[in-house]
Amino acid sequence: MNDSSQAHSNIRDPAGTLAVALRRITKRFPGIVANDDISLEIKEGEIFALLGENGAGKSVLMSILFGLYEPEEGEVWIKGKRMSHFSPREAARQGVGMVHQHFKLVENYTIAQNIVLGMEPVKRFLGGVPLVDMKATNEKIRDLSHRFKLDVDPLQLISEINVATRQKVEILKMLYREADILIFDEPTAILTPQEVDYLLQIIRELREGGKTVILISHKLEEIKAVADRCGILHRGRLVAVKEVAQTSTKEMASLMVGREVILEVDKPPARMGETVLKVRDLRVLNRDKVAVVKGVSFEIRAGEIFAIAGVAGNGQTEIADALTGLMATASGRVFLLDEEITRTGVRERNLKGISYIPEDRQSYGLILDYDLSYNLALKNYFKEPFSSPGGRLRQEEFSRYAERLIEIYDIRSNRGGGSVVRSLSGGNQQKAIIAREIDQDSPLMIFVQPTRGLDVGAIENTWSQILKEREEGKGILLVSLELEEVMALADTIGVIYNGELLTVKAAKDFSKREIGEYMMGVRKDA
Amino acid sequence: MIEIILYDGLAFALPLLIIAIGGIFSERSGIINLALEGLLGFGAFTGAFMVVMADHFLPGSQPYGIYIGMAFAMVGGGLFAMIHGLLTVYYRANQVISGVVINILSMSLTAFLTRQLNAIIFNAASNRFQLGVADRFTLPLLSEIPVLGAVFTKVYPFQVVILLVALLAYLVFEKTPFGIHLKASGDNPHAVEAAGVDVKRVRFAAVMISGALAGLGGISFAYSISANFNPMIYMGYGYLAIAALIFGNWQIGNTLLAVLFFGFARSAGYELAKALEMSSTFNDIIMTLPYMLTLLILIFFSKQNAAPRALGEIYDKGKR
Repeated sequence: MNDSSQAHSNIRDPAGTLAVALRRITKRFPGIVANDDISLEIKEGEIFALLGENGAGKSVLMSILFGLYEPEEGEVWIKGKRMSHFSPREAARQGVGMVHQHFKLVENYTIAQNIVLGMEPVKRFLGGVPLVDMKATNEKIRDLSHRFKLDVDPLQLISEINVATRQKVEILKMLYREADILIFDEPTAILTPQEVDYLLQIIRELREGGKTVILISHKLEEIKAVADRCGILHRGRLVAVKEVAQTSTKEMASLMVGREVILEVDKPPARMGETVLKVRDLRVLNRDKVAVVKGVSFEIRAGEIFAIAGVAGNGQTEIADALTGLMATASGRVFLLDEEITRTGVRERNLKGISYIPEDRQSYGLILDYDLSYNLALKNYFKEPFSSPGGRLRQEEFSRYAERLIEIYDIRSNRGGGSVVRSLSGGNQQKAIIAREIDQDSPLMIFVQPTRGLDVGAIENTWSQILKEREEGKGILLVSLELEEVMALADTIGVIYNGELLTVKAAKDFSKREIGEYMMGVRKDA
Repeated sequence: MIEIILYDGLAFALPLLIIAIGGIFSERSGIINLALEGLLGFGAFTGAFMVVMADHFLPGSQPYGIYIGMAFAMVGGGLFAMIHGLLTVYYRANQVISGVVINILSMSLTAFLTRQLNAIIFNAASNRFQLGVADRFTLPLLSEIPVLGAVFTKVYPFQVVILLVALLAYLVFEKTPFGIHLKASGDNPHAVEAAGVDVKRVRFAAVMISGALAGLGGISFAYSISANFNPMIYMGYGYLAIAALIFGNWQIGNTLLAVLFFGFARSAGYELAKALEMSSTFNDIIMTLPYMLTLLILIFFSKQNAAPRALGEIYDKGKR
């Protein structure tokens, strides 16, 4: 029996071992078919991975199962019962729980209050008034977290805990509701390698405890590591259901993208030249006047990719902002090609030769409501030939320039240079920024999280662009939370923790594990 | 003199408190409520109308007038608040505009209705409903405590009712599942929805409660300030309540301190004017005192404010 016929089979479930059966599900949104005639069966007690690119329809499909959306066509069966009414409450009653990609937690409540939200233990006051029994709640949560080895302090506020603990809280929320079908939506996107290992261990233990786990992901290694079977979505259609043990990651990747992908980068040896950027004792203060970058020094040479690895929020974006001039430098000095730029304004730095691909592309990289041609000229519009000496903008020059970049960098949009950037997909928005910045031909390029939220195909594309610039002899600063990316691209790696570069070494002298330990701050250079 | 400042201050502070608690209910659920002014006015109108009706058609009900008034003021305020609730929660209208429009609507509507109802039912050409006098009472023993005894002196009946309602509101707000869902809706409505609670229903209920509490405060002002209902009720006390709840950082306990401060500032101002033997024409300037103080305090308090995170955000279930 081949995979697709199994996926579309419509066998009844006499033994009752199916946790979920989706039958011919179709869900449309204005302009797109998010789920196109999907039939899928998930067995009780298995770890089932749902694999697909961004926008392939994974989250939508799971949101249907979780009751957030109602499909236009098709049936959802949970443990042999057909869902007639779609709401999170109903799904929860059937035992479906979901850890959302963006956590749904109340910041100023305690861990315990968040876990029991909507199902608070109640005691009667004066015989009638229902009051929440906080003492019993805290006890209950303490027990629950011991039982599942997810230790948390029920009295801590959400605003005081880190992402890994927040994720534990989300898992406990499902367990408190006695969910036995657990959906994880991209759970590892924000975790360090150690935390990922721990989470995967938890997921395995949940299966041992008899739970059914559905894992939404586009990270193939993780799926390989924990999942029993995986379903692969491509553009809203289920293209295959595979036994993970008998499928290579390469095969999964090509099914997911719809073509061959090579994510092993072909990196020629570095040919480093003169020093492009020199940073000495850089200190940056945040809005509350607290130091977030504490005396950081490093150098980047031409033809070198220098990567800063670290857990989010340890000062890496602030370094990038200080180098581009978006944030003020409190003390220390910055030299670009031996010229000091510590106090130089943003536009002057751009003109002197800094290109910047910011982390928050939509706020700092683009003007979403302008069209593509304006966005592509955003760093040059005030110069010839875009602007006449009298200050009149020449529309035709914008269009000509846009046409050229669209052609070279393969930026896909509905109406070429005239399309409003907001209407472009995330991957193409990123292509537009990269095109603009590379075309500046700056000696220094700063990439912050360049592949965040992109799918495998777009990642491949971005990586090869970065390597091409390295070949061109640019100095490249790469700030990334993805260890894979840092390991794949960097020549030199600095690990940042709590605003300090704990170590700087050639990439080949680092193991992934070692970087992870520096990232957590558990290891320091003597 | 200090006693007068205390009991007059309390008589002003408590209605302000219950209005501010109303505002807290709405805003902690995530709905900006600038409509407090209009809600307290409409509540007072409804209550006062029922008082004169009872007086007219049920002779002998006069001693209970104030309780009838309070009960119906809450009903009227709550019903009128449904407009704000429907517009902002279910039709996703801009919360600031809705609030301001309701204030204007309430002012003109009650002025119109008061004249019409007076003409039709009582054959009188008047823009006011005459309320009976609310007898202030003094507790025998407690009132003899030096200084603090003033708290138990010349107490309006509505003050006792407000205290009880405020305690109940506090209990609901802090301890019941409803209160917990309400505060969570103002912080992260998506978390509440995912927990299987209907955010819109919670917010709608919160806005209605805020109208009922504002109505209770409104009728109390009508009794204590002029013993009748007239357009003078729209003096800006609704806005003062908003100021109080913001100084109180959207918390009931701190808001109590803020209203006491306003109350005592006001009564102390009057006493000051009396002591200086100023003519009553200076009353108007004295009445600006709480507002002047508001402006002053704003300078110091604005920085450390922690408004509910989702305040003013239009909630859309589909948004991710």
